Amino acid sequence: MTSGAMHGVRTPALHRTFGPIRPRPRWLELRLLGLVALALAAGSVSLGATVTRRFGLYDAEGLLIYLGALFAAHAGQVLAGRRTDQILLPTVAMLGGISLLLMQRLPQDLVTQTFFGTTLDLAQVQLVWLLCALTVATTLGIVVRSDRWLRRYKYTWAAVGVGLLLLTFVFGTEVNGQRLTLQLGPLSGQPTELLKVILVVFLAGYLSENRALLVEQDTRIGPIRLPPLPYLAPMVAMWAIALGIVVIQRDLGAALLFFGVFLALLYVATGRVSLVIIGFVLFLLGSAVMAVLFDHIRTRIDIWIDPFADPLGSGFQVVQALHAFARGGLLGVGLGAGLPEIAGRPPIPEVHTDFPLAALGEELGILGVVAILGLYLVVVERGLRIGAAAADDFRALLAVGLALVIGVQAFIIAAGNLKVLPLTGVTLPFISYGGSSLLANAVVVGLLLALSDKGVEPPPPPRVGSRWRRVGRPRAD
Amino acid sequence: MDGFLLVLWAVRLLFLGLIYLFLARVIRVLLRDLRAAAREPADRPGRLIVLESPGGEPTAGQSFGLDVITSLGRDVNNAIVIDDPFASADHAVLTYRGRDWFVEDLASKNGSYVNGRRVDGVAPMGFGDELQIGQVRMRLERALR
Amino acid sequence: MLGSGIARAPLGRTTIHVAIVVSLAFAVLAGAAGYWGVVTAPELVRSPNDAAVIAAARTVPRGLILDRTGKALASNTSDANGEIHRVYAGRAISQVVGYASTIYGRAGLERAYDPELAGLAGDPLTDAFAKFGADRYDPKDLTLSLSLDLQKAAVAALGKHRGAVIMLDPKTGEVHALASTPTYDASAIADPLTARATFEALQRDPSQPLLPRATLGRYVPGSVFKIVTAVAGLGSGAITPESTFKQQPGTEKSGLLVDGYRVHDGHHPKTGSKALDLIGATEVSCNIYYALTGLQTGGAGLVAYANRMGFDSPLAFDLPTAVSQVTNGDGTMPGGFTDDVELANAAYGQAETFVTPLQMALVAATVANDGELMQPRLVTSMTGRHSGTKIIRPRTMGRVISMADARAINAAMVQAVEGLLGRQFTTGAKVPGITTAGKSGTAELGGTGEPHSWFIGFAPADDPKIVVAVLVEQAGRGAEVAAPIGGDLMTRYLKGAP
Repeated sequence: MTSGAMHGVRTPALHRTFGPIRPRPRWLELRLLGLVALALAAGSVSLGATVTRRFGLYDAEGLLIYLGALFAAHAGQVLAGRRTDQILLPTVAMLGGISLLLMQRLPQDLVTQTFFGTTLDLAQVQLVWLLCALTVATTLGIVVRSDRWLRRYKYTWAAVGVGLLLLTFVFGTEVNGQRLTLQLGPLSGQPTELLKVILVVFLAGYLSENRALLVEQDTRIGPIRLPPLPYLAPMVAMWAIALGIVVIQRDLGAALLFFGVFLALLYVATGRVSLVIIGFVLFLLGSAVMAVLFDHIRTRIDIWIDPFADPLGSGFQVVQALHAFARGGLLGVGLGAGLPEIAGRPPIPEVHTDFPLAALGEELGILGVVAILGLYLVVVERGLRIGAAAADDFRALLAVGLALVIGVQAFIIAAGNLKVLPLTGVTLPFISYGGSSLLANAVVVGLLLALSDKGVEPPPPPRVGSRWRRVGRPRAD
Repeated sequence: MDGFLLVLWAVRLLFLGLIYLFLARVIRVLLRDLRAAAREPADRPGRLIVLESPGGEPTAGQSFGLDVITSLGRDVNNAIVIDDPFASADHAVLTYRGRDWFVEDLASKNGSYVNGRRVDGVAPMGFGDELQIGQVRMRLERALR
Repeated sequence: MLGSGIARAPLGRTTIHVAIVVSLAFAVLAGAAGYWGVVTAPELVRSPNDAAVIAAARTVPRGLILDRTGKALASNTSDANGEIHRVYAGRAISQVVGYASTIYGRAGLERAYDPELAGLAGDPLTDAFAKFGADRYDPKDLTLSLSLDLQKAAVAALGKHRGAVIMLDPKTGEVHALASTPTYDASAIADPLTARATFEALQRDPSQPLLPRATLGRYVPGSVFKIVTAVAGLGSGAITPESTFKQQPGTEKSGLLVDGYRVHDGHHPKTGSKALDLIGATEVSCNIYYALTGLQTGGAGLVAYANRMGFDSPLAFDLPTAVSQVTNGDGTMPGGFTDDVELANAAYGQAETFVTPLQMALVAATVANDGELMQPRLVTSMTGRHSGTKIIRPRTMGRVISMADARAINAAMVQAVEGLLGRQFTTGAKVPGITTAGKSGTAELGGTGEPHSWFIGFAPADDPKIVVAVLVEQAGRGAEVAAPIGGDLMTRYLKGAP
């Protein structure tokens, strides 16, 4: 590699695609994971003391398996030696740990699944999915070195996404009037969760490629300046198809999520506020039309505006959630001490999927809820930061899009819990029960980790006063 | 309030407190990172202007801001992607040390050339020098102020 | 940042914008959480829909409600299955105590004090610390100022009529009787076996037995409202107890012309050509005197003094109350009157005046307590199993008029009961052997219906111990029905049961 004439010049080590493994310590991540372990242990002890009146970890097995997996993931990243973000994993681990504690605390018979003969209940199933999610995220973070497979085949990805949707629509099983679940043997999942990632990949690819055109050239429609229509059209079409199918399937939360991420990415790529405003206006018009056409949407909006009008009927879920926040107050009533049961069930229906935030609001209080919101904000910020530091437009848009997928989804469901927005069926990332949600979000985190690789270490800054030996000009061979 | 409850509430508040401690640590790191990032653009030490690019990527006339270390090559992971059949996947690295620029050829198949002369390992570069990788010619310039 | 190309630059800026928007959005969420968890929390936590309230009700026996002598008005009983439900001490108290039913929710005091009876603390601060305590649920027993005997007597006195009776102590505001008829059997609603049939029948009953007329019924007051006008007139200084109106005697026959409308007098005995002063006018219930007093006081003054006694807003009371009004407020003249005609008519209790029987009791209580109005109360103390007894002290609603003015009206009201002419209007209102003060009212409803029969009064006049207000719907003249009921009840209170 280097030949004779160099003296005193240190060659920086460059990482190769499949080169030698150079383990690199990740002290910050380790310290943060330590804090996570301590916090979760405290939570588990408080839960155990509330339930059993004795001090000790509640379901120590589950917690220790989870913590073990966390440190294994950390070790894996250390060995792989990539300079990826060290904050993402601990933050997501904290959220996942809170989810685990919550699932341990809820009545276990909310969910039972049989895997090859063994029956698992709520907390155990969630633990299994959390472990899978950790594996997926860590693996992606270690292995994904090139983004060509995402960048080059965006139309293929789009087709895969639409295909998945159609598959679900045709072959899916109905749950609560919505065809969202695909069943493959013992496993069932919601492909729309993965669809959001695919959509971001497509949008990032398309926008990064045509960005200059979208920014600089315009077609005029009256006083409004729009980007050239031929370039806007495929995107709008893709988005409209996804939205349409999602609305037909009555998955309003996903529609809201796609729409929000689409507008945000459009703004980030083009910087044109006019597009966002037009999009927003179109959305309001669309929802007004749909509220008129579809009864169930109108009901949702009515419940949102005044759930107390029918507190025992249609507004029951939201009213009970709000009462949970009220009972929690600032500090909460303590993990395991809330959710007074009505007829032996938790007072909030579907608390493990739709309303985990309300349950946490009652048990951890407003301070707890604000902390959880803060954790989501950290994840989003990290993603945006990775985007801002990315080497090119595609990676930047991809990172921003992925970060927003988590952030906007968390916002939508948290807002639904708190009556800031109508209630929708999206899950709270990493906290809600649900394997497909965990896996899809794990893919997001894994990709973000991969994108955050800082590459080669910069050389140490020159010491003042030191003399660098001048290197001679290359001699002719 | 009996002793058990006292300790129980202490543990509950400890749980909340530890979550906030975690958040505080993380936010501290975030802020430090953001402040460092904010300072970077001002310290951009140089630019690379593409003079000639028959392959089209990078586009001729394009100007790249350079960092302390900038990698060049055909592989998409490089900071500057040179999509030229005569460029290797990881072709060269431009580094800025002290007050000088250096280019290092990474054992590329067809070599890197500074002002027409082949680079053997590491070679210094100054502003105005031309770098050729494959069929792409670029010139090192000062940063825009 | 590593860069490539000119179009690169804006991406950083737009990303920052997105970061700001996302942060603001999450800040809104945090604010919403604070709203639900802190701002609206106290009222949500006490609502009957709250899961904790429901759970408390199912875990511990509900607190008892006792009358002033300690007799149980509401208690718990278990049926054959061991299920606990409420049982009540008779129909007389139903409008006050209400019912607590698993199907139909709560009414009356059972509703107003639901959290305390169920075992949650009354105030948000104690509630906040309750979760720190070992015993989450501490049901309270309520002791009322109500007297079961008096209440039963009041309901019996009203008989088959529809109406209301209030009896209260003017010095403390304690309510001894709060009767509304027709009434109902609350135990039948609380008992799950008979609940549905009973409740549906009650809802279909056109006489509206579920309506607590004493607090929520609004009626034209008629002449009993003249006391309000007297309070306003004296308090504002528009008249003195000796003031007379020279046009009053002459217009007795023809009626007083006010803006083209003739104010006629009620059918009181001829007082000849003597101009009446406050005492005289009150004794014979002279509409013209009071119309002139009202005009002299002015709409603003009349409304202002009425509001000091509780008009124009719900009364601060243990049970929900309807709002009493002097006028609709639609007019542009001072006080909200449309014109002088309305003001003149309102001054003697016709026009757009609507009052609750409880409000009129408060008017009498103001006069009885020398011009200072005490807040009416039912609950005098709450006793928790773990938290001890909390006594609710009497509270004042403020000084309405001076003691001298109140004494003047007091004297006028005494004359209305004891005077030779007066007693013809208030037959049966006097308590034998004790100076009684009062005022009757015959509220014309217009149209063909019989007028409402009203009476308000207190005794003994020199040191009032009891105030009574009686309303009987469409029972004719005040003297005929309401006044005797008032007298009987006051006698019963002061002298014991016959």
